[in-house]
Amino acid sequence: MKRRTMMAGLAGAAASWTLPAAAQDEFGSKELIAAAEKEGSLTYYTANFAEVEQEVIKAFNKRFPKIKVSMVRAPGGQLITRIKTEAAAGKLAADVVDHSDRGLMNSLSDLFQDYTPPNASDYRPDALVSPKLWPGVTLGWAIAYNTQLVKNAPKTWMDLTKPEYKDKQIGQVVGPSGGTTWTRIMFERQVLGEDYWKKQAAVGPALYPSGAPLSDALVRGEVSIAPLLYNIIYTKIVDGAPAEAIFAPEGVPIIPYADGITKTSKSPNASRLFMNWRLSKEGQAFAIKNLGNITSMKEPPAFPKGWDPKAIKVWVPKFDEFEKLRAPWLEEWNKTYGYRQ
Amino acid sequence: MTATSSAALPEAIGPAAAPRRWGAPLWVGFLLIVLAFLVIYPLLMLLFGALSDSNPVVDGFGKFNPSLEHFINVLGNENVHYAFFNALAACGGGTLLAVAIGLAFSWIVVRTNTPFKRFIAGASMIPLFVPPLVAGVAWSILGSPKTGLINTVFKWIGIDFRIDFYSLSGLIVVFGIYYAPYVYMFTASALQNMDPSLEEASEVSGASALTTIFTVTFPLIAPAILAGSLLSFVVMLGIYGVPAALGAPANISVLTTYIFKLTAWAPPLYNTAAAVAILLMMVTAILVWAQQRVLSGKSYATVAGKAFRPRALNLGPWRWFTFGLAVVYLFVVVVLPTLALIIAAFRKFLFIKNFDALFDMKAYGLSHFNSVFDNPLTMLSIWNTLKVGVITALIGGVLAFAIGYTVYRTQVAGRRSIDLLSTIPVAIPGLVVGVAYLWAWIGLPGGLYGTIWILALAFVARFIPDTVKALSTSFMQIHRELEEAAWICGRGLLGTIATIMLPLARPGLVASMTLLFVLAVRELGSSLFLYTSDTTVMAVLLLDYYEGGNVGKTAAFSLVQTLILAVLLGMTNWLSRGAAQSSARVG
Repeated sequence: MKRRTMMAGLAGAAASWTLPAAAQDEFGSKELIAAAEKEGSLTYYTANFAEVEQEVIKAFNKRFPKIKVSMVRAPGGQLITRIKTEAAAGKLAADVVDHSDRGLMNSLSDLFQDYTPPNASDYRPDALVSPKLWPGVTLGWAIAYNTQLVKNAPKTWMDLTKPEYKDKQIGQVVGPSGGTTWTRIMFERQVLGEDYWKKQAAVGPALYPSGAPLSDALVRGEVSIAPLLYNIIYTKIVDGAPAEAIFAPEGVPIIPYADGITKTSKSPNASRLFMNWRLSKEGQAFAIKNLGNITSMKEPPAFPKGWDPKAIKVWVPKFDEFEKLRAPWLEEWNKTYGYRQ
Repeated sequence: MTATSSAALPEAIGPAAAPRRWGAPLWVGFLLIVLAFLVIYPLLMLLFGALSDSNPVVDGFGKFNPSLEHFINVLGNENVHYAFFNALAACGGGTLLAVAIGLAFSWIVVRTNTPFKRFIAGASMIPLFVPPLVAGVAWSILGSPKTGLINTVFKWIGIDFRIDFYSLSGLIVVFGIYYAPYVYMFTASALQNMDPSLEEASEVSGASALTTIFTVTFPLIAPAILAGSLLSFVVMLGIYGVPAALGAPANISVLTTYIFKLTAWAPPLYNTAAAVAILLMMVTAILVWAQQRVLSGKSYATVAGKAFRPRALNLGPWRWFTFGLAVVYLFVVVVLPTLALIIAAFRKFLFIKNFDALFDMKAYGLSHFNSVFDNPLTMLSIWNTLKVGVITALIGGVLAFAIGYTVYRTQVAGRRSIDLLSTIPVAIPGLVVGVAYLWAWIGLPGGLYGTIWILALAFVARFIPDTVKALSTSFMQIHRELEEAAWICGRGLLGTIATIMLPLARPGLVASMTLLFVLAVRELGSSLFLYTSDTTVMAVLLLDYYEGGNVGKTAAFSLVQTLILAVLLGMTNWLSRGAAQSSARVG
């Protein structure tokens, strides 16, 4: 029921955002909107959670109800394989692709057409890897805990090395699980210190293959504390789960996605409009307030709960290091945490 | 029991033999072409992947630089050794348990006067409908060392003992109880079709009931036991959901979870995954070969032309003991996990502090069901799944009958190749075979890709072995003399099939088509690569919910899926029983 109230709240929020006619240019020219509505549909490939992206589509349809968005969702690696194979066979069905791994998407940039959103200059340059690909989604790492089980909640990343949280009280997503976790463990080593992994591993965390099952384990009480992408735990907190999440003062590692419009798109105008809306202030604010996203905009249109813009800094990995250090550092991480890859 | 010399028969048939002389090679050729398309072509793609670094569709065959690098890496990787050992231990232990349970059950149901047998028979098949992921999730809710419901109950009663299903023994138990129906299916139909006069002979000669079971009954149905345990072992080897939910928290990886990691992580390592998959296939190939060695040269024909009635052993008061055993099994395998799923599906959050919190009605509601049915993909996926399931069962059933008949009932040249080809897919894990199908079939002319037909085709190909093997026991048990009788009466080959084989093998055929339907509804690995936004299926949506970290929605949606399957299977059962009765009246 809570979810429904949340959705009702969304509808209200969307209505209150109705902008003056001139501001419609935020999403695109009249001609673009007319052409997009004429095309009427687009196919959206995403590696993000299906449920989350459905909320995005619903919100987009509140503003542009004439454009139907069909979604295909698969885990990151499998989605990339599918895109490559479909493209090679001349059967790429995607108009828009949404993917968390900037490196892999960058290597496929030939498949994408030139695209720049109307508010391109609002975005941080370090969140971009290709002029064709844009961070429609940006996620950030928080520290979550079960409010029923944790008396003395951690407040910083360094707290996660404290002996009082030993013996599988802390859950961790394994390093090699993908680009998002790699970003976090890169942050840990570069910002929190060369020996952070060793100290943290000494506490004896429980290892999970990916973030979503870990968020569920936290709510169930299998673990008490876990670093989690904020969006995975946020909707659960909103729905009343016995959990809370904080942003640590040492920094919030963020993951800007790389989203683009395919060259073979049959609905280029609808795709542009969809991308424009997702990257607009309205689209980003929606994702921050309702889905627990962060943003790659220089001046965020909204902040997550408990986020003090004066105290909290976001941390974006340097893209060349992100690629270069990945294999050797992950191997060390596996050894340090005793993880069999 | 010895067969009459069948070598003399072709001449005896006379006129009917002439068309078969050129008909047989044509027929074998046709089957081989179908199997080449369904099995060999995707398999070549897989081999191609394992032996190179390229994607055959993207890079074309021109860039093929064969190397054994992936194999060498895989064979030398100690993590692969560890996953391999775990897989063998979990599946080996699971198979032993499954055989013990399945065999005991089929004996109880078919051969004793245990009360409520029909109910036991029906209920004991329920684990088969449960997708492995759901079984894994249910048992993690029940058996987690920290928050498991069973431990919560122990604590409440004051028992200090704690169970831990996040372990190798947990995997073995869950595998064993969930895959016992595979063994049961094989052994129950074999027991049903067995001539009881053999057992009577043993008892007349002074053997006790127990001696008879172990020296006559079980040896006679050995092919069924072996086939059932082999199939369940190989199926367990390919299961992802159970070890994903129960092994992962204890850092126990098996080959499938290892392969999933290789394919899901970015960048995906399909070529390495293909090499691991081929390793898995080799294990299976050895097992199949061993099974054939053991069975070769022996006759297991127990259904002959003589009329008999399967007899039920009078257990006296012991029948309540066997009934009790059945009730315990059903409680563990059906009631407990269903209860866990119901609690998870109706409870808003699965945080259960203590036993009393379980009865806090404020914590329950319909929110997960509401959000599952708010999702427009839910109804679409249900509808698509049913369509794909029916198409798969029909096409697969016909194909399996054709293959089974050719392999088990004829002497035509090439039937061994057909047997081999139709066994191969069982050994390829679904997650890898999915990409092989994608590579193989995306380039086909016509609009196959993006329709539900390509999904059905993949399921038919992937489950040929299960369907054919499920049918094979029916075929092996029908004595040649019945067919010979029809030939002598002047029936042609097709006439014999229609009047003898089809009616006699019908329970087996219906059972294997039902199995195929269930497998198609559950299948995830190959769906993931072939579905589109219009052809999404339930298994894909279920993984979405699980991967989205929502046990509540996963549980709610699995209850919906289980309910649909149960209703459909109940209908099938009722229809086939009706048909069997009407044909019995005609006969």
